Amino acid sequence: MARWRRMVAQLCSLLANKRAEDELAREVESHLALLADDLERRGMPPEEAQLAARRAYGSVEQAKQAHRDERAPLWVQNTLQDLRYGVRTLSRSPGFSITAVLTLALGIGACTAIFSLVNAVLIRSLPYGDPGRLVYLYTPNPRYNLPPEDFGPAYGDFYDIKRESRSFQSMTAFDQSMFNLAEQGSAQRVSSARVDGDFFETFQATPKIGRTITADDNQPGHETVAVISHALWQSMFASASDILHRSLVLDGKNYQIVGVMPPEFEYPHNSDLPGGVPQYKTTQVWLPLALNPHQMAERDNFGGNAVARLKQGVSIAQAQAELSTIMTSLDKLLDPQMQGRGALLENFVDSTVGQVRSLLWLLLGAVGLVLLIACGNAANLLLARAAGRMRELGVRAALGAGRGRIVRQLLTETLLLSILACGSGIAFAFLFLRFLPLLDPGNIPRLSEASLDMRVLLFALALSLLTSLLTGVLPALNVTRSNLVDFLAAAGNRGVAGTHGRAQSALIVIQTALVIVLLSGAGLLIRSYINVESVDTGFSQSTLTTSVQLDPRYGRPLQRAEFYRNFYSRLSSIPGVTAVGGINALPLSNSETWRSFEVEGYANQKDQLVEGRWVTPGYFSAMSIPLIAGRLFSDDDTTHTDQLAIVNRSFANKYFANGNPVGSRINVDDHHVRWSTVIGVVGDVRHSSLEESPAPQIYLPVAETDGGYVVARTSRAPNAVAAEIRSTLHAIDPNLAASDVQTMGELESAASARRRFQTSLLSVFAGIALFLALVGLYGLIAYSVGRRTREVGIRMALGAKRSDVMLLMLKKAALLLALGLISGLVASWFATRALQAFLFGVGRHDPITILSVCGLLAACGVIAALIPARRAASIDPMQALRTE
Amino acid sequence: MSSEVKMPIQILQGTLDLMILRTLATMGPQHAYGIASRLQQVSEDALNLNQGTIYPALVRIEQHGWTCGSWGKTENNRDAKYYTITKAGLKALDEETERWRQMASVVEKLLAEER
Repeated sequence: MARWRRMVAQLCSLLANKRAEDELAREVESHLALLADDLERRGMPPEEAQLAARRAYGSVEQAKQAHRDERAPLWVQNTLQDLRYGVRTLSRSPGFSITAVLTLALGIGACTAIFSLVNAVLIRSLPYGDPGRLVYLYTPNPRYNLPPEDFGPAYGDFYDIKRESRSFQSMTAFDQSMFNLAEQGSAQRVSSARVDGDFFETFQATPKIGRTITADDNQPGHETVAVISHALWQSMFASASDILHRSLVLDGKNYQIVGVMPPEFEYPHNSDLPGGVPQYKTTQVWLPLALNPHQMAERDNFGGNAVARLKQGVSIAQAQAELSTIMTSLDKLLDPQMQGRGALLENFVDSTVGQVRSLLWLLLGAVGLVLLIACGNAANLLLARAAGRMRELGVRAALGAGRGRIVRQLLTETLLLSILACGSGIAFAFLFLRFLPLLDPGNIPRLSEASLDMRVLLFALALSLLTSLLTGVLPALNVTRSNLVDFLAAAGNRGVAGTHGRAQSALIVIQTALVIVLLSGAGLLIRSYINVESVDTGFSQSTLTTSVQLDPRYGRPLQRAEFYRNFYSRLSSIPGVTAVGGINALPLSNSETWRSFEVEGYANQKDQLVEGRWVTPGYFSAMSIPLIAGRLFSDDDTTHTDQLAIVNRSFANKYFANGNPVGSRINVDDHHVRWSTVIGVVGDVRHSSLEESPAPQIYLPVAETDGGYVVARTSRAPNAVAAEIRSTLHAIDPNLAASDVQTMGELESAASARRRFQTSLLSVFAGIALFLALVGLYGLIAYSVGRRTREVGIRMALGAKRSDVMLLMLKKAALLLALGLISGLVASWFATRALQAFLFGVGRHDPITILSVCGLLAACGVIAALIPARRAASIDPMQALRTE
Repeated sequence: MSSEVKMPIQILQGTLDLMILRTLATMGPQHAYGIASRLQQVSEDALNLNQGTIYPALVRIEQHGWTCGSWGKTENNRDAKYYTITKAGLKALDEETERWRQMASVVEKLLAEER
C-alpha cells in the first residue's frame, strides 16, 4: 500500500517538479536560517554563524540532489535531463537539425502516405458485417475458355442452389442497370442495382432511414419501391427528412422511396465487382429484382451476380464441395450442348482487392527503401556531427558519464529528431492525401477513403521510433567505441577520423545501391507506360461518345428506330460533326459479348468463341477505324434480310489465312442455322484493354443501339460539341439523359490510369531517393573536404596543382559511386522480379533502362561531388595552413 | 555513478526513517532543522551526519504517506516546513520499531556468541 502510494507520489512530483524544487529551496533556506539563528544565540557573530551553519549543513547541492533522487524515479529524471540537453544541442545547430529532420520526414511521410492507402484498401474492414464470410458465386463452364467471373449463375440454378445448399447463412442475386431519373424538367442517368429480398441481409447493411428491400417487394405488383443512396438523398432531395413520403421517377415509372442507405454503403461499385461495368461507378438506387416465374426458372442464360454469406464455421472449401455436388445434378437439366457447368466460390475480399494487393505492397516496399535511404542520410549527418563533438563528449566522459549514459544521450537526440520528423512526415502525408484525387485511377476500391486515422498515426510513430534506432545506434556506438578520455588527452581530432570515414562511406555505398534499385524499378515502369501510351488503339482519340437509353415509352421497335434516326440525323447536322454511329459496347468499356461461331471451310473447333459487337453503318467512320478490304455497312444492310458481317484484321488473318475473307461465310447465329456473308475487313481495335493485343472480332449491322453508345467524330473542340449533343437530346425528349459524354481519348486515359498511378508514384519515390542520396554524397565529400583543409593546404604548398586536388576529392566520390552502382545493379537484378507483373513490352533486365539509370546516377553523383571538390581546389594554401 | 553515492545511505535508510518517525512521534510536528538537531542531541554527536543528509529520508517518508508537511512559523518568526506524523506513520513506526528490535536482538545474540 505504502509502496504504491510512493510510486504515485513520485510520478506526481515529476509533473509538479517546479513546485517541488521551489519548496525544496525554501526548506533548505529556512533550515540554514534556523541553524544560523541557533549558532548566533550561542554567541557567534552573525557572519560567522552563517558560515558555520553552511559547514554543519554540508553541500547544499548534494542535499538537493539526494532529495531529487529520492523524490522521482532516476531513469525518468535522466531522460528528462537528456531531452532538455538534446533540445539545447539541436537548437544550437539548426542547420544540421533541419536537414536531418527534413530528410527523415521525407522518408516517414512517404511511408505514412502509402501506408494510409494500404490501410484504406487492404486493412480497414469492408462495411459489410464480417466480410471474410462473403463469397461470390459463379457457375463457370470450362468449355468456353473464358474467365469464371463471366459466368454469373442462371437464376434457375441460383434458386435451386439456394434451396438445396446448407453452407450459407444467406445468399442474394442482383443485377445492375441504368435508368433515366427525371429531375424537374430534365433527366440524369443513375446506376441502380436490382436486388432480391436477401441482398441487404447478406451484406448486413442496415438503412440510415426507413427500411430496405424485402422479399415482399419482389412479389409481382409490389415492385415499385426504391432505396436510395446517401449521396442521392443529399444531392437530389437536400437531405429532406420527409424522404419516405417522396418518390422517384425512373424511366417514366414512379417508385416510392422506402429507405436511405448510410454513406459508406454504395455496393456494387465498379471497382468492387469483378467484371463490373465501369459506367456504374457507385450504386445510387436499389430496386426489387422482381423476377417472374419464367425468369426464376431460366437456366440457359447466365443471370446477374450472386453473393453469399457462409455460415459461421463453414470454410470456403466445404461450401465449394457441397456446391459442386449440387451443380453436377443441376447441370444434367441442361440442353446437352450447353452442359459442363461447375461451381466456383471466390472470397469476396480477395476478388475486391486481390488485384491491387501486389501493387500496394510494391509501393510500400519502395517507400521502405526510401525510408532506409533517409535513415542512412541522417545517420551520416549524425556521424559527421559526432566527430565534431568528440571534445564535448570527451569532457562528459572525463566527468564520469559512463558509456551507456553517453549512448543514451545520443539516442535521445536522435529520438528527438525523429519525433520532429514524424510530425513533419505526417504533414507530408496529409498533403499527399490532398493531392491523391489527382492521381486516383478510379479502379482501386476505396482508395479515396484513405485518411490519417489512428492506425496510420500509430504506424508513423512506430516508424519514427524505428528510424531513430536505425539512425542513432551506429553513430552512438561509433563515437563511444573510441576512448573519449584518451581523445581528450591527445587534444586532437585525427585519431578517430578513419573509423568515421569508413562507416560513412559504407552508408553512401548502401544508399547508392538502394537508389539504383528504385531507379531501375521506376525506369522499367516508365518504359512500360511509354509502351502502353504508344499502343495503336485503332480508333480516333477525338471521337466523342455518349450513352442514351430509351425508357418504356418507346416500347415498340419502330418507335426506337424512329427516335434514333431522328437523333443521329440531328447530331450529324451539328456544325463540325462529320460522322455519327452507334455500338452496343465501346472499346475499353469493359463489356464483352462472346458468341459461338463457325467459319465456312475452316477446321472449326467445338465451342469456338468470338467477341462480337453490334454497330450502325456510321460507326467505323465516326471512330476512324480504317476499312482494309471490301465495304462497310450501308443503311440498307440494317433492314436487309441477308445476314452480313464485318470482321477485323486479326479475324481475317486467323480464319481466312489462305483466302479472301470478303464474300466468305461465317455462322454466328444462336441456333447455328443462318449463315452470314463477310462484306468487309476493318482495322484492329484494342477492345478489352490497352495492354492486350487485339483478338479476332466480328461486327454485325444494326439500325440503332439503344442502351449502348453513340459516337460522333468532330472537327471542333469536343467540349463545345458535347454540350450540343446534350441539348440536342433534350430538344428531342427532355425526359432522357445522355450519360458518359466523353472522348475516346478520355476513355483511353481512364484505361491507363492505374499504370499512370503506379508509375508516377514509383518515379516520385525514386526521385526523392535519388535526391536524398545525392545530398548524402555531397555532404560526405563536403565534410571530408572540410576535414582535409590542412592536408590540402600542405599539398598545394608543396606544389600540387588545383586540378590534382580536385581529382583527389573526386576519386573518393567516384569510388563510392562505383561500388554503390555495382552492388545496386546486382540487387536490382533480383529485386526487379517483384516488378515482373507490372511490366509491359519491356524485359526486367532491359539494357536501355539499366544503362540510363547508371548514366543518370553517375552524372548526378559527379555533379554532387564536384561542388565540394571545387571548393577544395579553391582553398588558399596560406590560409589553410594557418587554420587549426 | 549514482549507485556509489547511494551505498552509505542504503545502510542507514531503515534506521534513519525509524529515527525520524520516532522523533516526530515523541516531539510532535517538527521542521527539518528540529529533527536534525534532535538526532544530533540524542546521539550526542556520534552520528556524524551532515544535516542535509536527512532530506532524502524526509521526502521518502512523506511520499509513503507517513508524514504530512505544512508550512508554519517558528518562535522567532522564521518560515519552516513542519512535518507531522500521520496515523499510517504511527502504524509504520510500530512495525519498524518491532523489526528493529528483532534485528537488534538477533545481531546482539550473534555478537554475544562470537565472544
